[in-house]
Amino acid sequence: MPTRARARRAVAALDSVAARLYGWRWNPLHQPGTVAVASLLVLLASGLYLILFYRVGDPAGSVARLAADPWLGSWIRSLHRYASDLFILAALFHAFRLWSQDRSWGPRVLAWVSGSVLLGIGLVCAWTGFVMAWDTFGYRLALQGGHLFDALPIFSEPLSRIFAGDQPVPSAFYFVNLFLHIAMPLGMGILIWIHVSRVARPTFLPPRRVTWSIVVALVLTSIALPAGFEGAADPLVLPYSTAINIPSAWWLPITERLSPAGAWLFLVTTFGLLIAVPFLSRRRKSASVVDPRLCTGCNQCPQDCPWHAITMVERDDDRPSLVALVDPDLCVSCGICAGSCAPMGVGPPGRTGRDQLAALRDRALDDRPRGIVLVCCNEAPAAHRDALVALGASLHPVGCVGNLHSSVVELLLRGGADGVLIAGCPPRDCLGREGPKWLHERLYNDREAELQPRVDRRRVRTTTIAPGAFVESRAAYDQFRAELDALSSELGAASTDELPEVECEPVPLEEAR
Amino acid sequence: MSPLRVTAAVIVAAVVAGLMAFSSAVPVSWHQNDDAILRLSLRARPERIENCRAPTQAELEQVAEHMRQRLICDGTTASYQLSVSIDGNLVDSRVVRGGGLRSDRPLQLLNEYRVAPGMRRIEVTIQRRESPDSSHDQAMTVERDSDSGTFAGRAEREADERKRSRTAAIPALLSLDTLIAVDSGRVMLVTFDPDTRSLRLPAGSTP
Repeated sequence: MPTRARARRAVAALDSVAARLYGWRWNPLHQPGTVAVASLLVLLASGLYLILFYRVGDPAGSVARLAADPWLGSWIRSLHRYASDLFILAALFHAFRLWSQDRSWGPRVLAWVSGSVLLGIGLVCAWTGFVMAWDTFGYRLALQGGHLFDALPIFSEPLSRIFAGDQPVPSAFYFVNLFLHIAMPLGMGILIWIHVSRVARPTFLPPRRVTWSIVVALVLTSIALPAGFEGAADPLVLPYSTAINIPSAWWLPITERLSPAGAWLFLVTTFGLLIAVPFLSRRRKSASVVDPRLCTGCNQCPQDCPWHAITMVERDDDRPSLVALVDPDLCVSCGICAGSCAPMGVGPPGRTGRDQLAALRDRALDDRPRGIVLVCCNEAPAAHRDALVALGASLHPVGCVGNLHSSVVELLLRGGADGVLIAGCPPRDCLGREGPKWLHERLYNDREAELQPRVDRRRVRTTTIAPGAFVESRAAYDQFRAELDALSSELGAASTDELPEVECEPVPLEEAR
Repeated sequence: MSPLRVTAAVIVAAVVAGLMAFSSAVPVSWHQNDDAILRLSLRARPERIENCRAPTQAELEQVAEHMRQRLICDGTTASYQLSVSIDGNLVDSRVVRGGGLRSDRPLQLLNEYRVAPGMRRIEVTIQRRESPDSSHDQAMTVERDSDSGTFAGRAEREADERKRSRTAAIPALLSLDTLIAVDSGRVMLVTFDPDTRSLRLPAGSTP
């Protein structure tokens, strides 16, 4: 099995555990990038407090006093440290998750590279933070930094000598270190903006409940297991060991065993490999295309596109409207536009609304839809999908439920299906970014391309199918089955073609969930 | 959520938080044995070895009066032979030079040597490798009353400046030979004292 597939299974297994424990709605693993941002906010808040008590003239003493204050010192300092650890871990898992889900190529390269730089700056920022404390671990990091910088021809005098012990470390060093520690998060703000710049509607924070759970967990951990202070650095003493912060300084024991040039090579190679991931695993998919004959210039697909890949431009024929134009360099082939276009004039090759209808008609010739048709995202757990099929549902897979054209739902019902159960991924784990959201709006809130009012909404249901949450999927299926049975009794032997028109009432997205 | 699920969720969150807290402070070895370290750390200006001569009257007349130096010197910056011995065993011997492309920047040394605990004889010498030209001192003698008016006393000022830079530089031979008790896990620091212009072991660095 390829490495990426194994990684994907590992992520799904973790998702499954988290979904069983917390439910798919509150699964903190779904958008670890937002967890990193939440950690960054905790870092900023706790850091603003800590900076009030930090003294450049007495770094170790001021941090030791904070560490010794159990009321407003120790736990806030620990909160700062654990939030930093969580930032690094969440950012790493974010990268791993996206790579495993094949979401690191094409227009996502900018996000990948800027995210890698963000992670690198986060590590350097943590480095300066530990040096600020000037305990034995901070001294060890400072020494390593000195060795690394001394290998570069940028300082006229070797930096390492200021840590040799023959003279006090100049206050200017602590001041510059403090300045870097404060300035870098400001730069990270700009990088976060670049990181999400390609996305139309970026999500910055986890669901509110998850955000506050993370904050509470960090605070409780800080109170229960406060971070220790290693003791003020003494350059004339050789400690046998120091307590190392693994998330931020995992590289330190490695680079200490290498020459400065070797250490640079190791660090640059590691970072270079991280940056190179999208280029090493390039897998370009076909971008969406527009059929200008069908485009009515309604401006819906640019609004729905999660990647700013579609713009409206002047037509080159004599029709008065604009026409959609897809920028293939920005399109990730998510297919969201296919579901947004009423006249079915846009979408990735083979996945436009027309292609979906044609495929369904071809299939219906041999296999007329019966019972409940399960329209299921290809990314859904196969075991859950198979289990629902075993219960009697007939499967109609789609690339993403956000690709599904509403006419397909109508055609399935007209073709003989009792009902259509559309099972999408958890909204925060949608590979198309906004598939479940736009699907819901199109089915229930008249967003283009809306499900026609003539379609009986009682025969259409959306649900979420997520690893570790089969119970919910099964419950949704059973409930839908029961409601369809009741509806059949109510309507007697009326054929689907004789269904009464049903008024479509808008349903808020949150309520529908 | 059932109480069992809530309990499991809390336990897992606690375990994850505990693992994160543990990973935040994992003891990792640094200095692995009982040895001590002899650290040689110094910053000093290397001596400039110059060959000077008095310019001829024709040479002086070619430049403006305020640019007329009484001595024209060229030369090189000295390099030094560093030797470190512990109990008579030579542990380091190398040529050291000042920083910069022309080696005329201060000499910076930061070297560390492992030393076993116990009474140890430490010898450190830094000896200039080049010898000044024998005509050097003669050429340095100039007429001190040759300047007048605005430029009166310039020869003295030039001589004082050369003297100041000579005294700011390392002496031709720096040497430290001492017997000290070495404790394990300690750093013995040897550094250059610019006041006494000699190598020394600062008080805090000896056990």
